[in-house]
Amino acid sequence: MKPKIGRALVVGGGISGIRAALDLAETGYPVTLVDRAPHLGGVLSQLDNQFPTNHCGMCRMLPLVDRDAGAQYCLRKGLFHENIDIRTSTQVVGIEGEAGNFTVRLKRQPGFVDPVACIGCGRCADACSVSVADDFNAGLSMRKAIYLPVPHMLPNTYVIDPAACTRCGECINVCPTGAIRLYREGRQDFSVLVVDDEYTVRDSIKEWLEEEGFSVETVGSGEEALDLIKQQSFRMMLLDIKMPGIDGVEVLKKAKDLFPDMTVVMMTAYATVETAVEAMKTGAMDYLMKPFDPEDLAGKVIGVYEAEEAARAEEIEAGAVVFCGGSEGYDPSTGKNTFGYKVFSDVVTGLEFERLISGTGPGGGGALLRPSNGEPVKKIAWIQCVGSRDLQTDSDYCSGVCCMYAIKEAMLAKEHGPEDLESTIFYMDMRTVGKAFQRFRDAAETDQGVRFVRGRVHTVYQDTHTGKLVVSYPGEKSRRIEEDYDMVVLSTGQKPSSGTDKLAEAAGIELNPWGFVRGEPFLPAKTSREGIFCGGSFSGPKDIAESVISACSASLLASATMHSAGKGIAVAGDDTPEYIDVSHQAPKVRVILCECGGSLPEGIDLRRLAAGLEADPFVESVSFVSRICTEEGWESLAEKVKTKGYNRLLVGACTPYAYTRRIRELGGEVMLDPSLMDVCDIRSPEFAYGEETGGDAIEKAMRRSLSTGISRLRSVDPLPKQTVPVTRSALVVGGGIAGMTAALAIAEHGYDVHLVEASEHPGGNLGWLHSTVEGNDTAILLEDTTQRIEKHPLVHVHTNTTVVSAFGEVGNFFTTIETADSGPQTIQHGVVLIATGGREAETRSYGYGTSDAIVTQKELEEKVAAKAIDYSAIESVCMIQCVDSREEPRNYCSRVCCPSTLKHILQMKQQNPDISVYILYRDMMSPGFAESWYTEARKAGAVFIPYTTYAKPVVSQGEEGGSKVVISTREPLLDADVQIHADLLVLATGIVPNLPEELAGAFGAECDEDGFFREAESKWRPVDSLKEGVFGCGIALGPGSIEGSVATAGAAAQRALRILSKNAISPAAVTARVRHSLCVTCERCIAVCPYGARSIDPDTNRVLVNAVMCQGCGNCASECPNSASVLDGFFDGRMLDMIDMVME
Amino acid sequence: MEPAVDTQTAAPDRSLIKKLAPARKQLLACIQCGTCSGSCPNADAMDVSPRYLWRLLLTDNAEEIFKTRTFALCSTCYTCTLRCPRGLQITDAMSLLKQVAASENLPLYKRSIRFYQSFMESVRRHGRVREMEFMTLYFMSMKNPVIPLKFTPLGMRLMAKRKVSVEIPSKGTQKLDAMFRKAREIEEQS
Repeated sequence: MKPKIGRALVVGGGISGIRAALDLAETGYPVTLVDRAPHLGGVLSQLDNQFPTNHCGMCRMLPLVDRDAGAQYCLRKGLFHENIDIRTSTQVVGIEGEAGNFTVRLKRQPGFVDPVACIGCGRCADACSVSVADDFNAGLSMRKAIYLPVPHMLPNTYVIDPAACTRCGECINVCPTGAIRLYREGRQDFSVLVVDDEYTVRDSIKEWLEEEGFSVETVGSGEEALDLIKQQSFRMMLLDIKMPGIDGVEVLKKAKDLFPDMTVVMMTAYATVETAVEAMKTGAMDYLMKPFDPEDLAGKVIGVYEAEEAARAEEIEAGAVVFCGGSEGYDPSTGKNTFGYKVFSDVVTGLEFERLISGTGPGGGGALLRPSNGEPVKKIAWIQCVGSRDLQTDSDYCSGVCCMYAIKEAMLAKEHGPEDLESTIFYMDMRTVGKAFQRFRDAAETDQGVRFVRGRVHTVYQDTHTGKLVVSYPGEKSRRIEEDYDMVVLSTGQKPSSGTDKLAEAAGIELNPWGFVRGEPFLPAKTSREGIFCGGSFSGPKDIAESVISACSASLLASATMHSAGKGIAVAGDDTPEYIDVSHQAPKVRVILCECGGSLPEGIDLRRLAAGLEADPFVESVSFVSRICTEEGWESLAEKVKTKGYNRLLVGACTPYAYTRRIRELGGEVMLDPSLMDVCDIRSPEFAYGEETGGDAIEKAMRRSLSTGISRLRSVDPLPKQTVPVTRSALVVGGGIAGMTAALAIAEHGYDVHLVEASEHPGGNLGWLHSTVEGNDTAILLEDTTQRIEKHPLVHVHTNTTVVSAFGEVGNFFTTIETADSGPQTIQHGVVLIATGGREAETRSYGYGTSDAIVTQKELEEKVAAKAIDYSAIESVCMIQCVDSREEPRNYCSRVCCPSTLKHILQMKQQNPDISVYILYRDMMSPGFAESWYTEARKAGAVFIPYTTYAKPVVSQGEEGGSKVVISTREPLLDADVQIHADLLVLATGIVPNLPEELAGAFGAECDEDGFFREAESKWRPVDSLKEGVFGCGIALGPGSIEGSVATAGAAAQRALRILSKNAISPAAVTARVRHSLCVTCERCIAVCPYGARSIDPDTNRVLVNAVMCQGCGNCASECPNSASVLDGFFDGRMLDMIDMVME
Repeated sequence: MEPAVDTQTAAPDRSLIKKLAPARKQLLACIQCGTCSGSCPNADAMDVSPRYLWRLLLTDNAEEIFKTRTFALCSTCYTCTLRCPRGLQITDAMSLLKQVAASENLPLYKRSIRFYQSFMESVRRHGRVREMEFMTLYFMSMKNPVIPLKFTPLGMRLMAKRKVSVEIPSKGTQKLDAMFRKAREIEEQS
């Protein structure tokens, strides 16, 4: 696919940044992905296990359509996509221009290790004598000053920590490839001339500045200074004003005539305004008053140096910018630290716990041991809300992730610790707000025996005799209880990433009161500056799924910006190269080996190895290149492949992964399909066998590696694949805010959209909602969106219409819709988005229907809007949360009810502050910044009383003839029964989905047990269905706010655009096919295909494989009893050949 | 069982509730986490925990509040205020409760009310506390001969260490009278 002319910049290479970059790359935009760290992956590179599977699964984010454009590698090891240019150790220092045409200045931290030359052998680290705390293991283990930032990264190149490095140079001596260039740091190239007649002054300045790393020359008079600057170039001059002979001002004039670029700072003891002004007029940048502080002086010089460096930053053009700067864990050692973090070594943070049990963690084995003495942990506690929901640490917000990670960690602790491990979670509200979260919590409690205690631990201290940690918390009747634990985990919350303020300033975007990026109302991914968007936890605490959704939605907005600026057009030039058809040729492999600059261990004879390989009849020739990793080496290789006579290419080098992009480019040059080219690792055997085993063993291992590679290339099927044409239009089912937003997003990219709405008007739940707890007016959103929908020529709205039937697959669906008056009609479309929404659940609980005083939240909302409530006549209001929800059969949190309740409280209290408001709740769910409204509601005087499912409130009629209802409940803190006489009882009944199973089924998607759209993967593919081309958004996907619906709509539209942006989809090189002569149509392969790529053709009675949907997993091939289902390139015979080669 | 809190019948004494309003206002944002109760060094001596007390306050249960001695036992160490995740001025709220009890002259708190009053009386007279005078005033106001006897051993020990000396109560300089008057006026106004 040809790339588009617009380039997108994604800042931050964590999970959100990777998602945003992949999204934009998959829709054809070239992307520059920068991260200030020396590696990608963000915090997730440190987290091995994710809820709810307690495994990883990041690879599910890899491209599924046009798979071969990216490397199919574990994403924790690295990212490669032909449209993504990755720049690590790079920061954004400024953004100029406007949406569509930004000029971004990027600054790269100088690297000391050449990543191309480094082979990751680790000799440098062995030689390094510095030892510092390892950030990767959250400081729990030590590393050297030259180190691997992430142990599992590929290619794994060493980096130097400039702060820890002593520049001793030992690593340079041992590096076999000369990859380390401990060149003088930038500051030493910044030369400063100090001119002062007093020796002590100039000498101390020299000393101070040299300590900061600058190179300094001193002279004692104006004459000497003028002589010296003619001989030597200086970037900066510190110039005394009052000197015998030529005075400073005179020197300044002459120096500025000669070198106008030199920065001059005057120094004077007589800081009269006149001299300073005169000097500044003549071109001095600033002046310093004597005597001055060494730090002031150094600060000034550093400021000048950094400003100059920043000005020299590289500039790139970008149509849109997506910030995914992420967040940081709260450091509990700052603040009051009553939990003794960093005081007692068995008190760890959640992240440290993850590292402790990781296979790549400090212990290495992943067993759960006490850091203090290495004994197994038998009793462990989690303390929630550390650095969250805490007004004393400026965090009047909920971090939203800690509850779920604490539950996950408590489950993992059971796996990694002894069987009888006791785990306790101390919490205030368990915020299980997402899909399946409540069931996960219930399982932890009932199946795994995790103990949940409501209450806040205020102190952790160590028993000096037993060494155990004593956790003290308020128990029954609020009496202090003290319990012994082996380990305490602090569930630390999310804080804005360090440097967020600086970056926001450089980018010209606004922050919210908590220091995160401020999003626009209803569109959190949009920042205050046009064309700059924000994904992931940069705009507020988020979990993985929310981050992925917000990153998708940000990349959609970025793509729309570039599209409307005319940057969505593909670059001119030839389309995908027409590769030579080699299907009728016998395999001929050309082998090119890297000699590694002669640094191979002794005893290895590459010529002998080559001779052996040449004996293979499939090998065309074997030749050598001195060092492929260098530019010259690669050019020499490119030269060697120009001559014809072969149809497969095998390169023997190191780190095959690093060559993925280059091999693809080379393929385009020589017209050879890149799937017929391969790079084989011949350097790793050296490390695996070690030098002491001798050259013979290594050479043998190298031969095995190469023979296997040759065997694999032989078996690659060169048959060109059939592409699948795409109908470039979309169907959106459901005209609520999610459906409308998604339809508009797709239409704005120039594709037809059919929007099907069952009712008379689009709008969905926005028809009865009026405002949000934040005070944003939903009517404006509705009006604005419906108007845009009506005006947009590409959006075809079908109201009073339902979907009757549908068939087809990604790229080509055929759906019959029926409109009430005009009858059925069939639409052809490439993708489908299901946005059927949800509605307020009905209830029969708590006396609903027996009194006019008992209403649901929706009814209250409608009454408020109709001004049908006389606030002065109300004395007391009661609200019951979680009505029929968060317990079987509707065991999920509906997410919107708690914020709605807070909104209603504040509305009522505003109208009449004397109304008593009582809220009966189980856990108040106000994740993220909604927490501040919870605080406001309490401040307004609402009384919150928790209840449990074991002792629910009871509603009865009040006095005869009275309008009040009486609610009896138990107040757990007072340990007393409470009776509330309420004029109004509001029931929060939650949300049920509107998604009929037949509708989902018609498109090949599924409903989950609660009737919501089943996503392919809750974290990594939250809006896709397993069947490609079918997406869900809005409440159909799961309960959510308006903001959430808009975000999922954006995400679903972005996923759809990956497909719509192509005329035709070409299948990947490795897909499955069926040998019909052997197939008995037992259909077992259809059942095991996780992607729904297989179907049976009723006309021919043959099993068909949709090559675009097939992900080449091989399930079918291993299931097929007849070997009729095969995976291209992995035929049984060839696989056995390869195994033979390895075992040789 | 009789409901402890009933929104219709609870706390009929509306004037008391009104007096408690400033303290209640301090505590509104309370999330009932119990950090105050857990960190209070005097909690073991209290009949109900601070968390329980605040819950009574927030549910307008004025009568129950003045059945407990919890706030009277607050030694103003400020640990709870320091640790409260909501940043509430808990110690100040305790003082406000003490003030209400004093202004209402509630018999349950007679001892501590008199104790504080005697202390302040001595301050008013001399601009500082004179221990012996302060205790004499206190014993006199309590009108109970047993109390001075209880304090005798402590007094002897303190005297032996020259921590207190015998002083005859006097009217003092009365220079602070104007200030105390003004303070009372302000209190009465609010």
